[in-house]
Amino acid sequence: MIKQLIGLLILLLLMPEIKAQFIDNYELGIGTRFQKTEQLYWENGVGADFTSDFLLKKKVHLKMSYATSRLGSAFSSNAIKQDNYLIGVDWRFRTKKCLQVFAGLNTGYFHADMEEPMFNVLPHNSLLLSAETGLVYKFKFPMSVSLSAGYNLITTPGSLFPVFYQMSVFYTLGKNHVN
Amino acid sequence: MSTNNYFSSFGQIVNTMKKYFNYFYLIIFAFLVSCNPTPIIESDMLDSGQISYAIQDSFQKHLVSNYINNPSPSQLDTPVIIAAHGYTATTFEWDELRNLANTKGTFYVSQVLLGGHGRSYEAFKKSTWEDWQQSIKDEYRKLDSLGFKKIYLAGSSTGAPLIINMVKSGFFANYNQPKGIFLIDPIVVSVNKTLTMVGLLGPVLGYTTVDLPTGEKGKWYVYRPQETLKQLMQLINQTRIDLQNGITLPAQTYMKVFKSQEDDVADPISALLIYKGMKTSNGGKIDAELINSKLHVFTRLAGRENVTPDDIALQKKVFADMEVKMTE
Repeated sequence: MIKQLIGLLILLLLMPEIKAQFIDNYELGIGTRFQKTEQLYWENGVGADFTSDFLLKKKVHLKMSYATSRLGSAFSSNAIKQDNYLIGVDWRFRTKKCLQVFAGLNTGYFHADMEEPMFNVLPHNSLLLSAETGLVYKFKFPMSVSLSAGYNLITTPGSLFPVFYQMSVFYTLGKNHVN
Repeated sequence: MSTNNYFSSFGQIVNTMKKYFNYFYLIIFAFLVSCNPTPIIESDMLDSGQISYAIQDSFQKHLVSNYINNPSPSQLDTPVIIAAHGYTATTFEWDELRNLANTKGTFYVSQVLLGGHGRSYEAFKKSTWEDWQQSIKDEYRKLDSLGFKKIYLAGSSTGAPLIINMVKSGFFANYNQPKGIFLIDPIVVSVNKTLTMVGLLGPVLGYTTVDLPTGEKGKWYVYRPQETLKQLMQLINQTRIDLQNGITLPAQTYMKVFKSQEDDVADPISALLIYKGMKTSNGGKIDAELINSKLHVFTRLAGRENVTPDDIALQKKVFADMEVKMTE
């Protein structure tokens, strides 16, 4: 059954119209993400952003990222080592322009490393849920930079704070349509 | 529906929306204008500046340097602990430890009233966290100059970051070093995370209000001016950064953190930040203990409602631990 489904999927993707929508007109941005939480840490990492014509003419973007204080404030300091695993969806405005505006929702998983067994009784894992909005600038060459601000709707455990700012620098694979 | 009717209906919808947007802006404007930066203060509130803690003579009433100003040799050998209370509180927070010390006679408790506290709403509003800290420094200097040989410090809640900052700033380098520091439910991270946005929301709020149970009335400020919330945020954020970079205790100074596991004011993660950030003079770890309590400043039970036998037992145990350390 699974083999048949995979076969059907391959067949569909090889059909010219389907291929044009799903493969030829995709954009996949991959790169680095820098995050500063208000009154807390720098948490940096990597991210990816995917869109295609079939996602409402590239108005919808799907994204995922990993950011950690290990590559930020906790790097050779006493800050808490914590990790953010995120997936999200954005709505883009002005999709044919260099300067685009976006708003979206993210969810994921947060983990803080307590390091000392004594402190493991404290809450240190959580669902992440945040709203985010910002600007993206798409260069003529396949690069983009985004600046955004977000708000975490869940703020426990202790080292999960509400307001954060992000900058992402992505290299874009696929077609990079801007006027 | 004809095309004309359709556009007519659409136009009506737009007009209606515009009208509601105007109302919306009017409400926001009225809200901003009506923000009252000064609350209505009743005479039985600490904020009025008219009750016992706010009377000038009370400021130094429980300072050891005030009532033992000509110490005998045996008094100079007796441990004395400078006890600093939390944000908006008064010396009341450490009364129970002083009562124990009076009963035991093995140590003294010097209760400092933090600067800006226990006076009036207006005096509090103008104060900075450095002002709050000043009275701890003053008492330490006086006890040191009087010749007390075994000086300890205890800080509850905001009292803790004030003491940590004294260590960080090198204050003790000019005096005999403290023998030990006890921190009870220290605040480095607040449970109320909107405090991180006080810079933005503060001017709109003006102040926040707390409901005090009967036993606590007149001992805490009821109103918290946004200016002081900003000072609190500035203090705890600076403390977090200092701990992140590492703070070393003076030589021979002991430190222990006691932290309620389910504190609804100071996030328990504060204890981890202190545990990771503070080191003894030889690079060792400080002591820390998580307490199975839901109270903020679990060592203060007076004035609370619904105190359980477990709460009393925990208070007794921690006070006994402190006494043993001071008298060993």
